Order: sequence, then C-alpha cells, then structure tokens
Amino acid sequence: MEKNFIFAGFGGQGVLLAGTILANAFMLQGKNVTWYPCYGAEMRGGTVNCEIVVSDTEVSSVHKQDTDFALVLNQQSFDKFVQRVKSGGTIIANATLVALTKPRDDIKYVFAKMGDIANSLGSSKVTNMVSLGVLSEACSIVSKEYLAKAVELVLGEKKKQFLPLNLKALEAGCGALV
Amino acid sequence: MTDKVLIKGNYAIAQAAINAGCQCYFGYPITPQTEIGEYLSAKMPELGRGYVSAESEIGAINMVVGAAATGAKVMTSSSSCAVALMQEALSYACSDEVPVVLVNVMRAGPGLGYVYPAQGDYNQSVYGGGNGDYKIIVLAPATVQECIDFTYRAFYLARKYRNPVILLADGLLGQMMEPACFGENPYPEVDVSSWALTGAKGRDGKAIYSCARDEKAHIQKIQDLFKKFELISKNETSFEEFETKDADIVLTAFGSMTRNIKAAVRVLRERGLKVGGFRPITLSPFPHKRIYELASEGKDFAVVEMNMGQMFKDVKYSTEGKSSVSLINRPCGEWLSVEEIVASVEKILESKKEGIYASSI
Repeated sequence: MEKNFIFAGFGGQGVLLAGTILANAFMLQGKNVTWYPCYGAEMRGGTVNCEIVVSDTEVSSVHKQDTDFALVLNQQSFDKFVQRVKSGGTIIANATLVALTKPRDDIKYVFAKMGDIANSLGSSKVTNMVSLGVLSEACSIVSKEYLAKAVELVLGEKKKQFLPLNLKALEAGCGALV
Repeated sequence: MTDKVLIKGNYAIAQAAINAGCQCYFGYPITPQTEIGEYLSAKMPELGRGYVSAESEIGAINMVVGAAATGAKVMTSSSSCAVALMQEALSYACSDEVPVVLVNVMRAGPGLGYVYPAQGDYNQSVYGGGNGDYKIIVLAPATVQECIDFTYRAFYLARKYRNPVILLADGLLGQMMEPACFGENPYPEVDVSSWALTGAKGRDGKAIYSCARDEKAHIQKIQDLFKKFELISKNETSFEEFETKDADIVLTAFGSMTRNIKAAVRVLRERGLKVGGFRPITLSPFPHKRIYELASEGKDFAVVEMNMGQMFKDVKYSTEGKSSVSLINRPCGEWLSVEEIVASVEKILESKKEGIYASSI
C-alpha cells in the first residue's frame, strides 16, 4: 500500500516542518517514506508545498501528479491542490483562511479552523501542529502517538522549550473534528 | 550510527564525506546542491578540517586538484552548468592521476538551464567535456541511503585507482528526505605515500606531471591510463537487475529514476506482462557486457531517462543490434510517472517496434 500527501500554505506557515514531522512519524512506525519539497525561485510570502509518500514496500516515485491527501493552510493552496486530489481522496483545509466551498463532489472535505485554534492556544505559529492533529483524525494511517514522538524528535534538545505548546496544539487538532 | 535518520540527500552526502575522512572541501554555491557546502561550512571548521568557499567553480576544482596532489581526501560539489566550468581541471586530474571526488547534483540544461531536477549530464560525466583521452569513474545513486554508501565508495575508489570519481545525483535526490543509516565507512584506508607530494624533507623529491617528456612516453602514459581503466572495469562495474529472467523487455534507468522503473515493473507484472528492470550503478565503467548478454537472449530494452536519450545510446551500443532498444523520456522537470512509463511500455509491446516514446508535460 502506498499513500501520498501534499502539504501546502504560505511560506512561514510551517508546512515544510509539518511535512517533516509527518515523515518522521512514518519512519518511527517503520514505514518507507520520502519527503520532497517544491524548490526553485521561491518568493517570500509566496506559496510553498511538500510531498510525502509512505509505502509498505519501496517508495515508487517521490513526486506524483495526484495525491490521496492534501493538507492546505491558505486559499491559494486550496484552489490549486483541490484539483490534484485523487477521486475518493481527501482535502483538509484551514477554515480560518479558506472559504467553505466544495468545487468537486468526488472527494472528501475536512474543514477545521486551525488558525483560530492555534490563536486560542496563544500563538498562530502552531497552526501547522493543529493541522497535523486534524490530519491524524481525518486519515487513519498515522497515529497521534507517533506524531507526538516525531514532534519531540524534530524539535530536539535545542528547541525543547517549545515542546509543550506544540504537543498541546497537536492534541487540540485531534479534538477539532467532533 | 546504526539508527535511521530522516535526512536530505545533500546533507547525507556531506555527512558521509565527513565520515569518509574528507579533509578539505572547496566549493561554490549553486541550486540544488548548496546544502552540501552549507553543512560542511559549519562542520569542517569544528573538526579542524578545511573548508574554502572558493571565488568560482574553476577556483574550487583547481584547489581540489592541488590538495589531492598532496594525498589529502578532498571533495567539491556543484551542479550541471557549473560542473561544465570544471571540465578542464577534470581532464588534468585524470592525467595527473589525483584522487578527486566531485558531486554533481544535476539540474536542467543546456546553458544556465533551470533548477528543476534532470538527468542531462550523463554525457558530461561519462564522456567528459575536457580534452584528450580520459575516463572518470561515475557512480549514480538512486536513494538517500545510496547517497551515503556511494560517497564512501567514491572516496575509496578515487584513492585506490588514483582517478577522479563523480557522484552523479540529481535535484530530486539532493532535495528529498528519506530514512537512511550512516553506519561506518566500510572501506579500508589506501596508502598514498608512494606518490603524494608531502614535502621532500629527508627524502628525494617527487613530482606529478600532466605531460610526458616525449612522444613515446606520452603514448605510454595514455596507454597506462587506459590499462588502469580496464582494470577498474573488471573490478568495479556494478549494476542491479530485477525480474529479468523470463523478461521480454527490460526497463533500464539510472539514478533516482530507478525507483520509478521498479514500480513500473511491479505494475506490468501484475498485468501479466513479462517485464524486467536493469540499472547501471557505475555509469562509467558501464555494464556493456551484461546488457549484451541479456540482448543475446532476445530481450528488448526500453531506456527511461530524464534527458533526450543519453544513456539510450550506450544501451543501444551494448546490445550490438541483437535486440531492439526504445527510449521513454522527458528532458527535465516532473519525473516520468509510473503510469506514464507503464503506458509507454504497453505501447512498445503492442507495436513490437523500437521507437521513441517521449512524454510532454
């Protein structure tokens, strides 16, 4: 079984970091995984995205045209990637910045006010962690426990002081889908 | 160091170079490999080793050649259009027989090209852009794990044979992260004391010359270089083969396209088609002999690559007309998807004719 994810948002919203944490969570689960960022002549304030592929066997191709899951944190990313979700796939959107529209009827939509939840915890910077919580609830292939372990691994000793807030945001995201 | 870490190809190469004992790095930044220099600029001074941000790529490679002449383990890294600038020094390094390790993280060409990943430097690496008869060892990794393993191997081969080695990666491999394990550098140290220029204190002087003293000596020098490469060919040619035994057609790719053809072989096998895969690990020396053997058994080939058909020519040459060779390609940008490869192979099997199955975006 192979599944792929696209994480997208404004530069600075932390989508590359969120993707890195998801990839680490899969690694800790013992899966084969790849993470690939869009790179090139990017602009500050422009959109950024990364792609994660997880597989039980060797990952086939790192960069794919379509995706099983899209996690989008801003409107531009929603508009762009809603077209790239496979039929039957899921788009998970930050409803704080994305309008509640459903341009296609063959995919699933998950809207959560990730930005508002992050703000209520004290920092909009943890929107990305809230989004990971929402993702783990919306798709059953990554557990909250592994995500939490991956957050700890990625923050490491150097940024340990940010761990409690980030874990709280992850937890809040998991609870946002009731 | 046996634990897996999620790491970018570029950082993996840089850390593997440190583990392999790289003493000096000389480089100049260019996308998509700048992380190698960035990483080493922090780590090398910490370890008391050399890091120089050169004034240009030409400067960097010539510093590498100079340092290599002293027997030091040295490396530079760059990308496509900037590796083009280094060709003169590579020809010298082959002639001088100094162990240079050059990492090329390919982007699109020709000219300035673009920062997209591509595989357009097969010819540049294997056949070279420098003058005269020379050969370079070229290793093509397909995964981040191989970026590590082949970096170790590159340092070893360069010193074992006193020959430049190119590690030919691409932007996709350089920028992606994948779990990988550093382990220990598995190769032994090579004694370079017989030729390394380390100062003549207490002994007679030595010299490394790029030119020979007369015509006869020069002819001998080139013949010796080629004899050495024959030995490299015999000892070091490596490749990976999958599901070829009963295959009617063998998909052939190098570098990170390997994973796409592996998946395509799986899909086509599930559809009941007899398809295998072949992947040269050393692009130079190239596994001509094995391809010839497979072609002699009547197996056709389809070369899948992100250029206009560069390795295609070597595969075609290796088959010596014993079977047909098709090309499935795109010049750069989005890697050919598994679906595109599968569709092209089905077309080839249907038409039973060799041809070019280029994909536009």
